[in-house]
Amino acid sequence: MPVGPFGIDPAIWAPLRLVIAVLLVVGLVFNGALAQIYLERKIQAVIQDRLGPLHTGPWGLLQTFADAIKLLGKEDIRARLTDKWFFLAAPSIVFSPMLASYVVIPFAPGIVGADLNVGLLYLTTLGSMTVLGIVIAGWASNNKYSLIGGLRSAGQLISYEVPQIVSLVTVVLVVGTLSMVGIAESQPGWQLNFLVLPLAFVTYFIAGLAETNRAPFDLPEAESELVAGFLTEYSGMRWAIFFLAEYGEVTVVSSIVTTLWFGAWHGPFVEVFPLLGVLWFTLKTYFFVLVFMWIRATLPRLRIDQLMSLCWKVLIPLTLTNLVVTATLLLVFPNTVLPVAIANWILLAAFVLVLPYVQRRRLVALRERLRTAA
Amino acid sequence: MLDLIEPALFAILTIGIVSAGVGVVLANRITTSALLMAFTFLNIAGMFVLLGAETVAMFQVLIYVGAITVLILYGVMFTPQSARPYGLFFQTQKYWAALFVVPIAIFVAFVGSVGFHDSATVGAKGGDLMPLATSVFRDFAFPFEVASVLLLAAMVGAIVLVKRDED
Repeated sequence: MPVGPFGIDPAIWAPLRLVIAVLLVVGLVFNGALAQIYLERKIQAVIQDRLGPLHTGPWGLLQTFADAIKLLGKEDIRARLTDKWFFLAAPSIVFSPMLASYVVIPFAPGIVGADLNVGLLYLTTLGSMTVLGIVIAGWASNNKYSLIGGLRSAGQLISYEVPQIVSLVTVVLVVGTLSMVGIAESQPGWQLNFLVLPLAFVTYFIAGLAETNRAPFDLPEAESELVAGFLTEYSGMRWAIFFLAEYGEVTVVSSIVTTLWFGAWHGPFVEVFPLLGVLWFTLKTYFFVLVFMWIRATLPRLRIDQLMSLCWKVLIPLTLTNLVVTATLLLVFPNTVLPVAIANWILLAAFVLVLPYVQRRRLVALRERLRTAA
Repeated sequence: MLDLIEPALFAILTIGIVSAGVGVVLANRITTSALLMAFTFLNIAGMFVLLGAETVAMFQVLIYVGAITVLILYGVMFTPQSARPYGLFFQTQKYWAALFVVPIAIFVAFVGSVGFHDSATVGAKGGDLMPLATSVFRDFAFPFEVASVLLLAAMVGAIVLVKRDED
């Protein structure tokens, strides 16, 4: 009889490994969402000079658990004129691609679901499938606010996919592989991709905010205009599944950022204790989750035309320029990434310094036009 | 036991493709058809994975499920519909359709049972990323560029055609 890991027959180990991995990821997503909702409340409270949840448990730690139990116990309500099957299926269509994303995320050396050689492409593919679920949710609810929310979401996600994928391609050009493990291994020590490609990081992060429907891009569920967008008709656990999916997506985008630009599991003492990689990976990922929350508490929501013009007039030309410059420099200097790094930092400086100037010029021109029209 | 997994997956995917394809034609409402079409595309992506062509499978899902189906749904939702469900397909055309479908089905079944026994065409395992990249960007770079310029021209033309003159 062949003996696999832990002295278990490989024919039994393969399905057992699958079950353990799925249970771990489901646990990770559920507990991650609970922790992130607590963090979100506390951080927004700190930024807005409030106290946040305080009374349930020590420091209000049990507040999200109480909320989760309340959601589980709620009655499952469905309005009569909704489209039954699509209405019931939409939360799962949003949730399952997010869950499947965890297959390729490299938590530590050797701790990864599957080292696909198209790992990054797999992640973008799953990210694009979320649109379908949101459009279905908006349409099946038979509610005009839901429908507008769903269509806004589709327009937003399809537009922001372009700068997102082009930013990822820039990294792939430098690293030379699409495998998440390969990308993680390519940046040991201080050779982080962030130092080489900061502009790609910034554009990907902005597009990632839009991809996860987070503020300032949370137009599909803009509560001041659309009640709750595509979530309007949902309640109880179905509503909660949409939120689990959103927090899971935030974690996935943060993990992609960690892996591509910040060296994934690399950190002190990982060579000695490989399991320590999980700690470094989690800390780096949650740092970016906190940045997501910080941005949400700081920036106001964009208008839909501002959202589209930011994507098509700023981000897409910028990422395409970045891609062409990076590819050319890599062809001219095949042995060093130093020219790429210099070009990227210059482009980033141009982006950060020139954009506010252009916006101010446009605002002045707009005011001038309004004054002459009045 | 492990040898049975691939035929079993193949069977599940085939049933998914065929039944969802039948559903696209038979469904009364056009949104249902669009979603079943997305399901068919997903199953076809699964077929590509079974054949060892993961990259093609990823692009299949990314482009067809993630973008084209959503655009079709967009179009459907903005098109006025009659209030009652309609079934145009099976009123006048079914005898004509049967006349054409049956010979084609016999032909396909014949080709399927006689041809495709060449094992070299099936056993392309081990990743298709490099072959795809070299064929698109090296061996067939010129046709690829020509096709993309043509598509760009078509897209610009479509935008010009639908753009109104008001602004």
